[in-house]
Amino acid sequence: MTETYDGPLLEIDRLSISFFTRLREIPAVMDFSAKIMPGEALGLVGESGCGKSTVALGVMQDLGVNGRIVGGSIKFKGRDLCTMTPEELRKVRGKEIAMIYQEPMASLNPAMKIGRQLAEVPMIHEGISEAEAMQRALEVVTDVKLPDPARILGSYPHQLSGGQQQRIVIAMALMSKPSLLILDEPTTALDVTVEAAVVELVKDLGKKYGTSMLFISHNLGLILDTCDRICVMYSGEAVERGSIEDVFDKMRHPYTQALFRSIPLPGANKNDRPLISIPGNFPLPHERPKGCNFGPRCDYFEAGRCDAQDIPMSLIDGDDRHQTRCLRQDEIDWKAPIAKAITKTKGEIGPVVLKIDNLKKYYEVAANALFGGGDKKVVKANETLSFEARESETLAIVGESGCGKSTFAKVLMGLETATSGTILVDNREIQSTAIQDRTTKDVADIQMVFQNPFDTLNPSMTVGRQIMRALEIFKYGKNDAERRDKMLRLLDVVKLPRAFADRMPRQLSGGQKQRVGIARAFAGGARIVVADEPVSALDVSVQAAVTDLLMEIQREQKTTLLFISHDLSIVRYLSDRVMVMYLGHVVELGSTDQVFQPPYHPYTEALLSAVPIADTSVQKKHIVLEGDIPSAMNPPSGCPFQTRCRWKSKVPNNLCETTVPEQVTLAPGHQIKCHLSDADLDSMEPVITIAAE
Amino acid sequence: MEPLSWTGSVGVFLNPLLGIAAAIFAILVIAQMVMSLFAAPVTLQSNADGTLVARAGALGTVENLLRYLVFALVLIVLAYIITGIVLPYGQTGILGAMSKRFLPIWVALILTFGLSMMFKRKLGLYGKLFDSTIGMIGFGLVMFWVYTAIFSALFGWIETFDPLGQPSDLFIAKAMKNAFPGAVFGTGTEGTFPHYLLGGDTLARDIFSRMVAGSAIVIQIAPLATLFAFMVGITLGLPAGYFKGRLDTLLSFLANLILAFPVILLFYLLVTPEIVDTGIPSFMAVVLFVFPIVFFAVLLNSRYHTQPKVRTPLLIVVLGALGWLYLSLVSQDGTVLHFMPGGLDLFDVPPGILVVFVSVVFVNAPTVFRIVRSLTLELSTRDYVAAAQTRGEGSWYIMLWEILPNARGPLIVDFCLRIGYTTILLGTLGFFGLGLPPESPDWGSTINAGRKLLSQFPHGALAPALALLSLVLGLNLLADGLREESLKD
Repeated sequence: MTETYDGPLLEIDRLSISFFTRLREIPAVMDFSAKIMPGEALGLVGESGCGKSTVALGVMQDLGVNGRIVGGSIKFKGRDLCTMTPEELRKVRGKEIAMIYQEPMASLNPAMKIGRQLAEVPMIHEGISEAEAMQRALEVVTDVKLPDPARILGSYPHQLSGGQQQRIVIAMALMSKPSLLILDEPTTALDVTVEAAVVELVKDLGKKYGTSMLFISHNLGLILDTCDRICVMYSGEAVERGSIEDVFDKMRHPYTQALFRSIPLPGANKNDRPLISIPGNFPLPHERPKGCNFGPRCDYFEAGRCDAQDIPMSLIDGDDRHQTRCLRQDEIDWKAPIAKAITKTKGEIGPVVLKIDNLKKYYEVAANALFGGGDKKVVKANETLSFEARESETLAIVGESGCGKSTFAKVLMGLETATSGTILVDNREIQSTAIQDRTTKDVADIQMVFQNPFDTLNPSMTVGRQIMRALEIFKYGKNDAERRDKMLRLLDVVKLPRAFADRMPRQLSGGQKQRVGIARAFAGGARIVVADEPVSALDVSVQAAVTDLLMEIQREQKTTLLFISHDLSIVRYLSDRVMVMYLGHVVELGSTDQVFQPPYHPYTEALLSAVPIADTSVQKKHIVLEGDIPSAMNPPSGCPFQTRCRWKSKVPNNLCETTVPEQVTLAPGHQIKCHLSDADLDSMEPVITIAAE
Repeated sequence: MEPLSWTGSVGVFLNPLLGIAAAIFAILVIAQMVMSLFAAPVTLQSNADGTLVARAGALGTVENLLRYLVFALVLIVLAYIITGIVLPYGQTGILGAMSKRFLPIWVALILTFGLSMMFKRKLGLYGKLFDSTIGMIGFGLVMFWVYTAIFSALFGWIETFDPLGQPSDLFIAKAMKNAFPGAVFGTGTEGTFPHYLLGGDTLARDIFSRMVAGSAIVIQIAPLATLFAFMVGITLGLPAGYFKGRLDTLLSFLANLILAFPVILLFYLLVTPEIVDTGIPSFMAVVLFVFPIVFFAVLLNSRYHTQPKVRTPLLIVVLGALGWLYLSLVSQDGTVLHFMPGGLDLFDVPPGILVVFVSVVFVNAPTVFRIVRSLTLELSTRDYVAAAQTRGEGSWYIMLWEILPNARGPLIVDFCLRIGYTTILLGTLGFFGLGLPPESPDWGSTINAGRKLLSQFPHGALAPALALLSLVLGLNLLADGLREESLKD
């Protein structure tokens, strides 16, 4: 290190952390260095299991009984945290370093009112009086932009929504004005528009209080939005670090490059410029290769050199503290265009397979659960859904939690029956046929791919057995031998080795499980497949591969794919048409181009601006929605979106609050549910613009 | 013949050794407790090879010493057992003689442990048990009594005298009445076993043999009754948790009703001759024992209904066999329900045992029902259940093949614990003289018989009480070990 010591707030130097089990030592973090200056925000990115959370826990000195720092040091304001006594550490934690975790509900004490929980922090650390602490709590709650702070202080955590809870957790972290804030995936559990608001808040507060931040996330777009510097981790090591601009635009590590190529950026397209997934699997901690950890998956791997010895971080000339852990950084042509992937011809869009007309699904909820009597409330989960889906078409259904997309999936699958309206599959009505009464063919035709890969397979049945069971139910084959043969062919289709047939689900990785889920869904030759956020729980590098697989099967089998997602990047990448839902209503429906270009529905506009995009050349308009999504139990009058809409003032006569807007056709195939006049709609500017290269 | 002392000649060495070791052990445990109050918090330090560094200082020394002492104590206990087996009869006292009597059990235990340890990585959860010390101790205790029950009931290898019979010679009978442990039987040369190892009871029967014979009764009834309770609980708990709504409310209410009824009172009612004459226990048996048949019928049908060619013969064979067993069990001589012709009735269970069985199943089933119901409620929200629903699986397939196998961990643990409760319940029943015949050697009855003379002759009640304690302790430790190991993966 040649630079002069100018007082970094946090200085991690060659940190190594291991966990000890009965069998072996498991190194979780190796040779990790980082430096955070006062007021600086450092982003830590990497896939699950790469050790990013362990670094955060190491800083907090909270590694549990079998975790231990085996090398290096963590200096906070020049003092080594590793040598502090428990008493000294207690003074630092919470007061000087605060941490915000992923799950807000788990960080709040459910039996204590918010006000008391917040006031506890300064009362313990600064010994101030309760009245003074409550006063400060009120200030901080106002700072995190919660409505009606006094009422919030007097409520219990379960009375708040997820977004509000996360704001309270942030408020709690800010109570004693810490100099360092550690955020461990703070928005993963939240909806996109809420996430955008929380991120905005964190950024503002960072500026206001001058707090430094260590921001841990797997989402590159979020890091771009919030941080000054970034550190990319892979398999326990930092592989590249530097300023945001350097790393995003002039990456010098093959892993960083591969990561960026596997996420859908606005230029990508499933047919001409498909995503490139990283081959192979993440190495297990005790099976890391010699030399470069990324070696076995790297395109630029050079045997005898990359796997010869441990590779140190090396500085890149000309950049500001930009370092990479790659031996060949000077030899690789980083500007080389992506090797031309095979351009795939798009499947011909066929006749209408699925036609939904005026579909409604209401639930009756008894106001009094114990006696069932009294007032009944009606939850309108789906309100007048009408759309068509054609053969080999991908229709994306976009919306946040509570928008009714899962209810629609249930009605379509037959797990629930519709309240009114029709669902036509090949011109046969199925909306009121429950799944038990459907013919085997109808059941096999409409299948589903689930979101959570760890939950989608029965943990106590082998992979092969589960696929064979689906074949049995769909009456395929005369005997077990025929079904086994078909099962093995299905495994080939989803590109899994045939040996996996006899494995238990716990022996498979998340992406592999999701592939089995896909194989199971296609077992009966499904024609309509509902994919409920099939890749959102997977790591980015795996997402690309699973998405590609779905597209490939669709091309071959001419499947109609209903792709439910809240991730607009991936929707733009793979879908032909997009349907945006909000509180049970379809607010916008059109081809992908129509939906992603103005005029937008005001909600679509907000959604587009909320999605973090990991590209420095993209300019986004900032639209932050106020408040949370209203509850479907108690929807707002008139237009469902009126409570959060920024265009509401443009509509005369308070129309938005009184009448539900009609479906307006703007262009052939492009419908929108909004009161805005054509002139207002035409005045909308694009949310996302790509700066000229 | 001389009466046997507790430890015989080997005791001269081993007893003082054991005493000293135990005393040091006790002192060190206290010292460790006191010192740990003032000790610095543990920080994990690793050696170069990845193993953990032990705690340093005086406390570290005490911890090490304690570890050696435990080892020494185990060795001394082993010495008692081995000398008893190796040295000739009589030299090693009562303990040695018992250990020689238990020889087949030691062999069986060593074989079981050896084989299991050798293949433990291939044996799933059972194999993992051998990673946990607590689990191994529990398993050892349980298997000790299981083997005792098997060897004594099948081959009569363990007991030294007839557990039910009194000595025919009146003089000997008089001498053996309430005899102390190690007493000589007659002159010791009657051609029978020379001593009453654990003394005699008020009717001059050998307590050791009765204790051993008692184990057979417990090991026969407790697991089987628990299994039936599980069948009932699972068959009702799954639909209650899966369908929810009215069915759940009704079944949960019934379960609460049964649980609210005083158990002992229920037992007294069930064994009252008037109640038996009305046939209530028999009708309860008719209802309770039908559940396993329902369970297996639904289990197989839901799995194979897509392949009628496999399903139909399979169901005919399984249900035929189960149905025959069921009818034989339900139809009893001397009760209101006697409909099977003698040639077809496979077996008759003694009426008392049947009542005990019915009562145990009846009071255990609601608790199992609750556990299964809550597990089902949780598991039915999983995506694999939704996946099964979306491919049109029947409800029973989902319950029995998608949900039940994934609830097995907590259920197996509860099964072990519940066998323990049932064992205690059987002891309670025997103690109150309910159900089982008065001369029965089961542990509850013998404790009750020995209770009356407890101040003069404590051995009569102590031996069966310790046996009961060790079996239940073993089951609880086994459940603990299973729980601990099933959580690790």
